[in-house]
Amino acid sequence: MQKSEMYVGWSTKEDVRKRGGSGGLVTSMLAAALEKKLVDAVVVLKKINEFEAVPIITSDVNEVLNSAGSLHSVPSNFAKLIANRNLKVALPAKGCDVRGIIEQGKRNAINLDNTFIVGLNCGGSMHPVVTREMLEVMYKLKPEDVHGEEIEKGKLIFETKDGKEHAITIDELEEKGYGRRESCRYCTIKVPNNSDIACGNWGVTGDLVGKATFVEINSEKGAKLLQNAIDAGYVQVQKPDEKGIAMRAKIKGVMEDLGKKWKGKVFVPIDNGRLEYFRKELEHCIDCGACKAVCPTCSCGDVSKCTEYHFRGDAYKMSMYHLVRFLHLADACIGCGQCSDVCPVDIPLTRLYRRFANPVQEQLKYEPGMDMRKPPYFEVKLNE
Amino acid sequence: MSDIKGTENKGAVAKDNEEKRVGVFVCECGVNIGGVVNTKAVADYIGTLPGVKVTSVNKFTCSDSGQADIQQKIKEHNLNRVVVAACSPKTHEPTFRACIEQMGLNQYFLEFVNIRDHCSWIHMWEKEKATEKAKDLIRMGVERSKLLEPLQASEVPVTDKALVIGAGVAGMQSALDLADMGFQVYLVEKEPSIGGRMARFDKVFPTNDCSICILGPKMVEVARNKNIKIMSYSEVKAVEGYVGNFNVKVEHKPRYLDVAKCTGCAKCSEVCPVEVPYDFNEGFGTRKAIYVPFPQAVPLRAVLDKENCISCKACAKACQSGAINYDMQTSYTDINVGVIVGAVGFKTYDPEPRHDFGYGLYDNVITAMEFERLLNAAGPTGGHVVRPSDCKEPIRVGFVNCVGSRDKATNIYCSGVCCMVTIKNAQLLKEKRPETDHTIMYIDIRTPFRGYEESYNRSRALGVKFLRGRPVEVKEDPVTKNIKVRVEDTLANEIRNLEFDLIVLATGIVPHEGINQIQQLLKLSKAADGLLMEAHPKLKPVDTTIDGVFLAGVASGPKDIPYAVSQGSACAGRATILLKNKKAITEGITAVVNPEVCVGCQVCIPMCPFQAIKMDETPYLNTGIKKANVVKALCKGCGTCVTACPTGALEQSHFKNNQLLAQIKNVFKFQEVAA
Amino acid sequence: MSAEAAAAPAAAKTGGWEPKIVAFCCNWCSYGGADSAGMGRFQQPASTRIIRVMCSGRIDPLHVFNAFLEGADAVLVTGCHIGDCHYVNGNDKTKIKYKYLENVARELGIEKERLQLNWISASEGEKFANFIRDVTAQIKKLGPSPLKPEGVA
Repeated sequence: MQKSEMYVGWSTKEDVRKRGGSGGLVTSMLAAALEKKLVDAVVVLKKINEFEAVPIITSDVNEVLNSAGSLHSVPSNFAKLIANRNLKVALPAKGCDVRGIIEQGKRNAINLDNTFIVGLNCGGSMHPVVTREMLEVMYKLKPEDVHGEEIEKGKLIFETKDGKEHAITIDELEEKGYGRRESCRYCTIKVPNNSDIACGNWGVTGDLVGKATFVEINSEKGAKLLQNAIDAGYVQVQKPDEKGIAMRAKIKGVMEDLGKKWKGKVFVPIDNGRLEYFRKELEHCIDCGACKAVCPTCSCGDVSKCTEYHFRGDAYKMSMYHLVRFLHLADACIGCGQCSDVCPVDIPLTRLYRRFANPVQEQLKYEPGMDMRKPPYFEVKLNE
Repeated sequence: MSDIKGTENKGAVAKDNEEKRVGVFVCECGVNIGGVVNTKAVADYIGTLPGVKVTSVNKFTCSDSGQADIQQKIKEHNLNRVVVAACSPKTHEPTFRACIEQMGLNQYFLEFVNIRDHCSWIHMWEKEKATEKAKDLIRMGVERSKLLEPLQASEVPVTDKALVIGAGVAGMQSALDLADMGFQVYLVEKEPSIGGRMARFDKVFPTNDCSICILGPKMVEVARNKNIKIMSYSEVKAVEGYVGNFNVKVEHKPRYLDVAKCTGCAKCSEVCPVEVPYDFNEGFGTRKAIYVPFPQAVPLRAVLDKENCISCKACAKACQSGAINYDMQTSYTDINVGVIVGAVGFKTYDPEPRHDFGYGLYDNVITAMEFERLLNAAGPTGGHVVRPSDCKEPIRVGFVNCVGSRDKATNIYCSGVCCMVTIKNAQLLKEKRPETDHTIMYIDIRTPFRGYEESYNRSRALGVKFLRGRPVEVKEDPVTKNIKVRVEDTLANEIRNLEFDLIVLATGIVPHEGINQIQQLLKLSKAADGLLMEAHPKLKPVDTTIDGVFLAGVASGPKDIPYAVSQGSACAGRATILLKNKKAITEGITAVVNPEVCVGCQVCIPMCPFQAIKMDETPYLNTGIKKANVVKALCKGCGTCVTACPTGALEQSHFKNNQLLAQIKNVFKFQEVAA
Repeated sequence: MSAEAAAAPAAAKTGGWEPKIVAFCCNWCSYGGADSAGMGRFQQPASTRIIRVMCSGRIDPLHVFNAFLEGADAVLVTGCHIGDCHYVNGNDKTKIKYKYLENVARELGIEKERLQLNWISASEGEKFANFIRDVTAQIKKLGPSPLKPEGVA
């Protein structure tokens, strides 16, 4: 097995295969890595209810096998979870997770040689609080009655405990301010080729639909991970058919185009009153620091340049804290949306950061989190 | 989760709680400041600032009485910070640092405010505004001074050995002087023999001495000196460490013979069947694949040029001492030295690619260096200057000056020596063959040093013609191979069409290919002309910005032989200060890491051009994180890493964030808005 | 005496609002350039307050923003010409860091005249003076910075 090869595979464990949305391949691959000591730990989500789950780091194979099941409304980012722990670890990761992990790798907080990143195709995730509200307002359902959810053909479908399905198009939901998180809408990393192995259901065809996962190997580590799972008897694979490969590429293309369209929609240039715009958006900031603490590309501790020179007493027209963060994130922001999620006063921080990051990253032709390239500022060589 | 609410200004609160007692000394600099700035008003205002215990206005603060006033007020008011508002810190900062240090204050407790160059001199007709600006500038200085911290310049031990890179005349002189002062010297030369460019010259101006006759004895002297270890046919491949303690890796290219056994008898060359152009003679004539570089070579040993060797093994059979070893490998020596002298030399401008004045197109256009070898009695023609097309001795010789110099298309600088080279070359041929006719075509004739103008006059007396003008057209006569030149005589104001048997181009001085490697190894700066930079063009001409590294010879700009030799000696003298004291004082202003704040992200590492930041080998305390560490002896105190550090763990002493922010904040003052 | 210097008395009488400009200068080049301007008596508006750092590489965006927030009508980032850095390539790093700064400032709605980068050698006194004169004229046209806090001069 080697880089850029593609397969369709599923778990050999009956219960995992049934519980998993797409044949339980990812879960089994992670479990096999742990079982065969390829890694010492695995990160999985432990479900609390349909809308909430907590990521845990475990070395228990059974805990991994029991974790199967997908939730669209758990947007947490794993990069900071495994940072500075010096773990030999395998973990599932959405595109933004992968980017966060790579950025932590560049900042020496994660050893990428010891980190097996199982990328998950991602069309977007939802905020749990928004999801509950949406169920009540749009679907007229009680959140407690919901049993499962699924995205199919542009529709978000909820299954209730009575076995019924309730579908509304995502476009309609998002028009009303529900649906995916804003940063997911304009995200263009749908198939995480920056991970070691990219997994998802796009490209699974025929009888296998819903029962298998389509994988693309992105690195030697990815090949090792899959081969290990096959050798351990956890996973079976076969070559995908041409139709599947084409289908996957098409979905990827459509999703990326949609992302770009959203980007244009969200980041309408502000011709006048830019300063007033930022001041207005930030006026309710309570200086809690949550946005920095959660940021997967920030590797600073409690003390950092953004916090140390910021004082509530200053009669400044802009926050020193935010200004320094705007600058520090200009080449680092991966647009994961975590800061907006955690802000207790609902400042759309990701949108603000991207306002600065978009032009800088475009000008410098530098996309953080996509590869190991260091920001241009750190690449100045002697005699340039 | 970190809560930034109500964070104390940790950065801005100085750690020590000692009361800051500031004294402010405003200098009038005669009328230079006093004639514009109302110093009395300034002093009165500054006296109202918190922490300012005393202000004083002096006619000349730098004078003895001015300094005495500072010292007396330090005593009287028990001052612990001193602000001097006067000229530029570049002029008098050291003066006042010494002044307060005498009173037991740390010299870094001085804050110098520039109210002359940056204020009174540039606002001569805006006295009020200048006075207000002076108040602002001093207020900024006062607030900064309160946050200044004591610094100690640190000492590092110095290994009493030296490395000299390049064994041309400058490097040799440096090595000899250092060795004579009793220090062990490694002299590394990339060619198989020492001697450099001077060994190739025929005669040297203005005295027209035989070059090798005066250089040869010096080369032997170097070889005989017990304190000098010559490493010929060797190159410096790696330099690590800092002043006093450089670890250097030297690569020895294989000569394919045992230098201990070789006697330099050249029997091997006699039997070698391979002939290649002889580089020592600028490509004129040939040498063998195994050869002694030149008759006066030091070490007088053969070298086998493997690239052209056909492995016939004839040389091995001929060698009576059994020195030949075809399997010799590249070897390395690691040396530890306290100082490094770079005397890495130059090359002459190559007119071939641009075909300047037909060079490379027409046989009878040659360079001055080629002419030099033709003139040399040991050269390819036994000292007969002949023209390449037909090996006839030329009668009409034209010299073109400033080829590759003083020209926007090549190098804008003056190579300095070419005028004299041309004058000397014309003289020598004229003396040998009085029937010859010489025309020197020049832009300006430059003869600045002792005996040069006299030599120029002698040339004129001998009948050498000087024509001010640069050839605009150079063409070869296809039949005679003579060179036809069209040139404007700018003194006579007329176009001249001349015909020559031979044209000699005075090619300028340019950096050689190896200079980039040396620059990177030694972490030096390069000037716009491509040559290496000295620490200060006037006052530190042989020092570099890297402590313990010195530059001699043409590597730092065009020079003639006496200038290069003086620089060699100067380097030895400067280096001896370190070697003899056995210690070096390193800059007090450096970057410093606060390990409590550092997260080990390593973004600072690539920022440092001096590789002064290293990661600790073991994690800090119980954090499990290896922290960054600044090697003070390597740090030059630029502060670039400090800007890059996202956490603020890196600080530049004397230019700390809080110190700079104190200045920024005090540019402005809050004004009550009138109701 | 230069023509500018001779013309200065007339200019001085016009008065009016004087912007406050913070200029960060590196010790080896632009600070020396400002000194040379003094030595050459190249007259300039009294708008600028120079803050000396050892290398332009030390000019932290933190300081630049703080200057704006404190009330600077313009901030100047200056250093040695590219290739002439006293510390090998500190100014190359400044050049890239400045791109970030510039973009953030632009996005915030700070006019481009208010944040400028210039390479000035220690011998370029006249260039330094002209730079200050030009910037001051540009800022006088623009008026006070939108980030200037109330009541600050």
